[in-house]
Amino acid sequence: MSASKRPMSPYMLGPYYKFQITSVLSILNRLTGVFMSVITAPLLLCWLVALASGQEAYVALSAWLGGGLGKLVIAASVFSFSFHLFGGIRHLIWDAGWMMEMPQVHASGWLAIIGSVLLSLIVLGAGL
Amino acid sequence: MSMQNPLARVRGKGSSGGGAHHWRSQRYSAMILMLSTAWVLWVGVSLAGADYATASATMSSPVNAGMVILMAGAVFYHVQLGLQVVIEDYVHIAALEFLLLIFVRFACLVAFLISAIAALKLVLGA
Repeated sequence: MSASKRPMSPYMLGPYYKFQITSVLSILNRLTGVFMSVITAPLLLCWLVALASGQEAYVALSAWLGGGLGKLVIAASVFSFSFHLFGGIRHLIWDAGWMMEMPQVHASGWLAIIGSVLLSLIVLGAGL
Repeated sequence: MSMQNPLARVRGKGSSGGGAHHWRSQRYSAMILMLSTAWVLWVGVSLAGADYATASATMSSPVNAGMVILMAGAVFYHVQLGLQVVIEDYVHIAALEFLLLIFVRFACLVAFLISAIAALKLVLGA
């Protein structure tokens, strides 16, 4: 059987599966990772290069970061980082073989949501 | 001795035998990131809204520069591993998948090199 004719399992967020915290957090971990890969990491790189390039570039980038779009990108980056951090810690705990019963998975999922919102607020609050 | 069916090996449909390497690399880079991002976040928050003189003075410290280079290495390695999985999962046109995988590897390497050179330039004051 060629690879293209192999049956595919239905996508976890489609109409075939119940909407649940496990699958939503799984795709959110991926989305926040992709967001940081495409937006946050290049932005940090730009900041470093601007600082190394001299005052003019640094001032221009600082002005953009202080504007509406800049603040939105920073807020989204901080939330993505916090969420991906807690999602990653969950994965490391599972990798050790711990907390794999469904009630524990649900509990750690809610903890990750609450923790990432709190950490985002703390970081954004401290940076203001 | 291999547990793989010889026919599967010939047809190229068995495991490549290198699966755990990607998994391990992703976890190790994640652990380095937990430590280095905590530190860089701490410095970053203190530099929020800072002027050029303050920011460049902070980044001229060898410890700060070292942590930035360590974090950049872990970040762009982790990004490469993560985007690789996403591309492999969702891009089903073989040629496009191949091109994207090569592009991500190349871009991550270049991004790390630029980060390291910028951090070195700041610490050496060139």
